Amino acid sequence: MNKYNEPNTLGRFGEYGGMYVSETLMPLLLDLDTSYQKIQKDKKFQKELSDLFKNYVGRPSSLHHAKNLSSYINGPKVYFKRDELNHTGAHKINNCLGQILLAKKMGKTRIIAETGAGQHGVATATVCALFGLPCNIYMGSKDIERQKPNVFRMKLLGANIIPVESGSKSLKDAMNEALRDWIKNVRDTFYIIGSTAGPHPYPKMVRDFQSVIGKEAREQILKVEKKLPDYLIACVGGGSNAMGLFYPFLNDKNVKIIGVEAAGKGPKTNQTAATMTSGTPGILHGSYSYVLQDNDGQIKEAHSISAGLDYPGVGPEHSYLKDIKRAQYFGVTDKEALSAFQLCSKLEGIIPALEPSHALAYLIKAFKNKHKGKTVILNLCGRGDKDLFTAAKAIGFDADE
Amino acid sequence: MNRLDNLPSKKILSLFMTCGFPNLTHSKKIFQEILSHQPNIIEFGLPFSDPMADGPIIQESSKIALKSKITTKQSLNLIKQLRKDSNQTSFVIMCYLNTVQKYGIKKFISDIKGIVDGIILVDLPFEEEAETKKLLDKSNVHLIKLISPMTDKIRSKRLLKEAKGFIYYISATGITGSNKLDYSEISKNVSSLKKLTKTPVLVGFGIKSKKDALAISKKTNADGIIIGSALIQKYFDAKMNFNKYIISLRKFINEVKI
Repeated sequence: MNKYNEPNTLGRFGEYGGMYVSETLMPLLLDLDTSYQKIQKDKKFQKELSDLFKNYVGRPSSLHHAKNLSSYINGPKVYFKRDELNHTGAHKINNCLGQILLAKKMGKTRIIAETGAGQHGVATATVCALFGLPCNIYMGSKDIERQKPNVFRMKLLGANIIPVESGSKSLKDAMNEALRDWIKNVRDTFYIIGSTAGPHPYPKMVRDFQSVIGKEAREQILKVEKKLPDYLIACVGGGSNAMGLFYPFLNDKNVKIIGVEAAGKGPKTNQTAATMTSGTPGILHGSYSYVLQDNDGQIKEAHSISAGLDYPGVGPEHSYLKDIKRAQYFGVTDKEALSAFQLCSKLEGIIPALEPSHALAYLIKAFKNKHKGKTVILNLCGRGDKDLFTAAKAIGFDADE
Repeated sequence: MNRLDNLPSKKILSLFMTCGFPNLTHSKKIFQEILSHQPNIIEFGLPFSDPMADGPIIQESSKIALKSKITTKQSLNLIKQLRKDSNQTSFVIMCYLNTVQKYGIKKFISDIKGIVDGIILVDLPFEEEAETKKLLDKSNVHLIKLISPMTDKIRSKRLLKEAKGFIYYISATGITGSNKLDYSEISKNVSSLKKLTKTPVLVGFGIKSKKDALAISKKTNADGIIIGSALIQKYFDAKMNFNKYIISLRKFINEVKI
């Protein structure tokens, strides 16, 4: 059997992925792909990145044995890969550092990005501050409202935040606007995409930069358990934290892989963001992958309590992993995620972001009283500070000053 | 026969309008008005929820059309009906790939065969086109090539090798209907394109007035122009009063027919 080494040169993971963009962007994407291939072999670049990972981000992030949660579940031994301990509070910084170093190499002088939960926006604003580049963040006005702490963070870091009023006023629309900005300012601008979505080479590039998560986790678990884990679990919106954890394990056939999507008010309702459980293959933001769409191919609005998972598409590599059955994907509702959010806080003393709370909810639901003697690594990809107001409101706690 | 193969050698006029905008009934009247001016080409935009290469005006028209619940099937029927009014004007569909894919690419092509002469798939670049192009070629529907100021000479050469119908030259690195026009850059780029192909080169994106149309004709080597956003803008200028809009549309098309 061939070792997993997707995608091919055109960015295809099986039939998914590709480069579906207008001709204005095409030369730039090809150029980006060439530059990306070069820096992969560039030792100086890789050294600079790993120094930043170590000294700026605080990597490696720890692998924490969540004993209390494990005994509550009464099933497998649960480990958290604690990427929420990273500088800026989530895994997003890994990718942003990689991309901004590349932008510098390519001589770009202006950075744009889209953001949903604001974690990618904060990470982008952070690396722009560090490297002294002007930063423009597109953010849906609905997300600006529900992620106020992150909006303020980005402003402190010197970013210009551009509210997006079109469509559902969330992540999908922010990405449309960022792409339009890029088409307009193609010569000097670098677009730091925050997820494993978008046209090639982004899904591959973002995965590669994030795969530091899985590489570390693999070494760490081998050290403490002397064997590979039985399960990997991560939440999936666009899918970058999940791909980052999964990728280094894809050739380990005995490691079962589970992605957890946000099913909003339920996978059979119209208010869901569970692309792979409720969607069909289509083209959105430059790549062919599962999307939420109607019979006429119009993209539907997603819904999730978590702004970071509120996206009607998903990275093409996830679609491929689903189809070849290398990974399984399940949906978790807003309600289930909220209870997991509270449970994890109480049991482990870790307030998780609402995004990984979905992964936690699935773990609690599906592994309760089962799979004893097995080990699980769950990617705790973000911390919950940014979600305090949203969660308080949903739980019915008055958190206003 | 493909009507695009018989375009005049100069001063080609192509007019873009979104199908189903502002609703199906009025849309038909708008297209009939446009058709009555006998432009060389009409471009029918199929509305899409996420038109990432379009500016705010075309975006808004798509949104309004979708709000009135227009479907791809209805758009194609509208085009079919309009074909009965004219066998002269070349018809071109401009849309995003997902619309065609969801409809079923083979069914889409068989539904437009003989009626539509060309198709512009905004988000289908050269690298991804092979399969689609084969199917289109079989039905004699030309796949129109877009060239941007970012497309270098080597790439242009590859793209234009099998170009048919016309070349859509994007006159500004921008989204539809935006940015100021830089005539010397357009002129330089159009001239170098014309060395690579005998297919007519049309300039689009950002032509807003008679002045722009004249300037493209006088200052560049282009074979024609494409106007889209400016036609739709008149609707908002007329405060969405349909009768007023038709009058101003008529006046504007008469002006840009140079």
